[in-house]
Amino acid sequence: MSAGQAVFSGWMEIADKAEFGEAACQYADEAALAGLVSQYTGTLYRVAYSVLRNSADAEDAVQEAFLRVLRHRETLHEVRDQRVWLIRIVWNVVLDRKRRAKTRPETDDVAELARVLPAAGLSAEERAAAAQHHAHVLGCVEQLPAKERQVLLLSAFEELNSVEIAAVLGITESSVRSRLFRARNLMAGLLNHARSLR
Amino acid sequence: MKSAAQNPFDSPSDPGASSDSSAFEETLRLIARLPAPEGIEERVQSRLRTGSLTTSGKAASCPAVSSKARILHWPKAQQLESAWARMAVAAAIVFVVAGGGWCIYSRIQPVQPQVAVALPRVGARGGFSSAGAMRTPQTLNGPLVAPAAVVVAPQKVTPAVNPAKQARRAQFHRGKPASTGATAPAKPDTPAKSAAAQPVAPVGR
Repeated sequence: MSAGQAVFSGWMEIADKAEFGEAACQYADEAALAGLVSQYTGTLYRVAYSVLRNSADAEDAVQEAFLRVLRHRETLHEVRDQRVWLIRIVWNVVLDRKRRAKTRPETDDVAELARVLPAAGLSAEERAAAAQHHAHVLGCVEQLPAKERQVLLLSAFEELNSVEIAAVLGITESSVRSRLFRARNLMAGLLNHARSLR
Repeated sequence: MKSAAQNPFDSPSDPGASSDSSAFEETLRLIARLPAPEGIEERVQSRLRTGSLTTSGKAASCPAVSSKARILHWPKAQQLESAWARMAVAAAIVFVVAGGGWCIYSRIQPVQPQVAVALPRVGARGGFSSAGAMRTPQTLNGPLVAPAAVVVAPQKVTPAVNPAKQARRAQFHRGKPASTGATAPAKPDTPAKSAAAQPVAPVGR
């Protein structure tokens, strides 16, 4: 075997080993991604729905978020808190979609809420009234400034504390508390104003 | 599930707004607890499998990177996520560029003309130059050599003879008329004749 053939065969061995390593890494990444999907799909759906208020759009946003994770699956092992990291990804996805989408009328929210809200022990009229009430509240939430609205929506999730909300939004914890305080006061004023108009 | 102390939503900051806040709090929490639709996980998994096949299929369709035709395996580009690694690489690149430029600059420097150092010319009275030799101070008195003694043989000093007188002497002795002018120098008398001619008193005194 000449020297050239020996070098050639060495390179081929390296290529085979590298291919095997690549395949192994890819399999490991796909397995890790499948575990994330089964564990956090529900949470991500609820976060997306709280902003988009549409079931189909929220599911698309969740799929888009996991596709982004798939493109950057090499960095999965570097993420400390994968739950907060995924919520941040889907949060950015839904904000982009909401920015591009037109303003949804409140009637769409009523119909959607009437469909998705649990109807345990409620009549049809009660369900409709509840849906209308909730749609009205969500309408008031939409009138809030963007920063206060985002903090208010995320604070409703029991899975997230103020530190994690700050990590999702990219702000400090003190900013989260101050914006939440302002949001609550503004919401109280809006609801009082709406009640006075009735 | 987080505790009440950690939940910013449960911390009442303004008592007056508590009743109103409870209204929208209930709504928002209801939205936050909505169950995910049935089968959403399977749909997401299938979409991800399609997405992964798409990305890998593009690579497989390209003949240049097909596994059978590939001979050399180029190493995967190392993504420098760490800021320190990026800074170290940037510093190394700067050093390499600066060092290479300095080497080139030092090699193409024009050769400076050699400055001729004019040595002090030692004043030579004898005619020979010092040929650039440095004058060294004389620290020791060298041996003095006396000039060699030269023995000179005493030479017979013949007084200067007037040719006219000589001619008259020759006439006196031979009886011949003295001829003026150039005459042949008188031959030296023989010792006998000179001895005989000596006692003669000088004529014309």
